[in-house]
Amino acid sequence: MSLDYVKFSPGFDKFMPKEYRDMVEHGPFGKKVTVSQMGSFKEILEEHPMCAGCAMTLFIRLAMISFPNPEDTITVGTAGCGRLAISQAAIPFVYGNYGDQSAVASGLSRGLRLRFGDKPKDVVVMAGDGGMADIGFSMTLHSWFRKERFTTIMLDNEVYGNTGGQESGMTNKGQVLKMAPLGKKFEKMDMVGMAKLAGCAYVATVVPNNPRRVESVIKKAVLVAREIGPTYIQAYTSCNIEYSIPTDKVMEDAKNVENDRYQFSEHLTEEAKHYLATRYGFKEYLPKPATATALPQA
Amino acid sequence: MYLVADINVDICAATSCKLCTQYCPEANTILYSDNLGKEKGLKYGSAYVAVDRCKGCAQCVWVCDNMAKHHAITMTMIDQLPKAAITDRITYLDSGGTKAIAAPVEVA
Ligand SMILES: Cc1ncc(C[n+]2csc(CCOP(=O)(O)OP(=O)(O)O)c2C)c(N)n1
Ligand code: SF4
Ligand code: SF4
Ligand code: SF4
Repeated sequence: MSLDYVKFSPGFDKFMPKEYRDMVEHGPFGKKVTVSQMGSFKEILEEHPMCAGCAMTLFIRLAMISFPNPEDTITVGTAGCGRLAISQAAIPFVYGNYGDQSAVASGLSRGLRLRFGDKPKDVVVMAGDGGMADIGFSMTLHSWFRKERFTTIMLDNEVYGNTGGQESGMTNKGQVLKMAPLGKKFEKMDMVGMAKLAGCAYVATVVPNNPRRVESVIKKAVLVAREIGPTYIQAYTSCNIEYSIPTDKVMEDAKNVENDRYQFSEHLTEEAKHYLATRYGFKEYLPKPATATALPQA
Repeated sequence: MYLVADINVDICAATSCKLCTQYCPEANTILYSDNLGKEKGLKYGSAYVAVDRCKGCAQCVWVCDNMAKHHAITMTMIDQLPKAAITDRITYLDSGGTKAIAAPVEVA
């Protein structure tokens, strides 16, 4: 949990494999990397068994690049496709039992605060819609009501992808899936509405067809969770297998879904805006100067 | 045999927009080299694919065709590539960017 854990032990550097050397010497630890530098530095997540062309994979890749301090970040996940990649990254990952992730993260973030005081250690939960809105629903909601200071990211593929296509609370009404052959009978759950109601300090919806936007929402959510309160990002990360999307059309689908039901949205409390502006220099949240009085009409 | 993405340096190095790697789901698979392209007297460096990491999804083709509108990427059978970059032969540079030694791919 510091830069030291990615350094070579004295005398051992020449014996380390190339992968490890590249990570220490050209990875993102201790420096700022951005989405626009992708392809030029060693990333902390690579080579995992998620399906070819999966949008969730792309989102997780972008998330790993966007963490403000990867060397001080712990991810928490649970059963579902995403953990197959998240658990392979060169930062610590805690595997909660299916649905437990927000309870595990609550204990972890409190423990880290006791141990490290004011030094920020970021806890980020990333789990599927089933793990978060169905099985882990109560723990997700309660962590928000308790104002636990960590980031919750839903990888919303609108299906149980990992177990072959059951409907989840986040599946859209009417959707037919392999294991929901009659179509879903209920509306998609409004988790964003619930996050706001429960008092999350930052709430955003995002689609990975805009990598810089993903970077921006993740940075803000992680920073706000350090001091202000719980933060929630809901990302549309299609499952091309269960929704039969040809892999070369995954970004086209993302664009269509963004225009249809997944428009970008961002909600911040006034306290969160003030914190981002004063602590981290986010200019867009600086108080607006009083508007000049309108010129008299000619 | 299977398909992997192959980037045409002549087209890519005319602009080197760096869009495709931001959309490739696989990390460190589409990389950039400042020398590729410039060695051939072209304006910029170029993107290239570490073929051992490419899962053949062709998302980069869609991005280059429809977002960048450069049509620089084609899906090619891996044994049809005269030479290609693989992860073990890629060096990350202190100045940022990478350098790759492209060599014939041995496919078992
Ligand atoms: C307690 C428990 N119940 C059921 C499972 C089986 N299981 C593994 S992954 C999964 C579904 C995951 O769906 P979701 O959370 O939406 O994630 P996705 O795979 O779609 O990303 C289930 C039911 C489990 N691992 N543990
Ligand atoms: S099953 Fe779906 S969500 Fe899971 S890795 Fe494959 S495409 Fe992605
Ligand atoms: S999108 Fe096309 S032109 Fe742009 S960097 Fe990639 S291959 Fe080159
Ligand atoms: S085909 Fe897919 S995995 Fe391969 S380079 Fe293109 S986007 Fe990446």
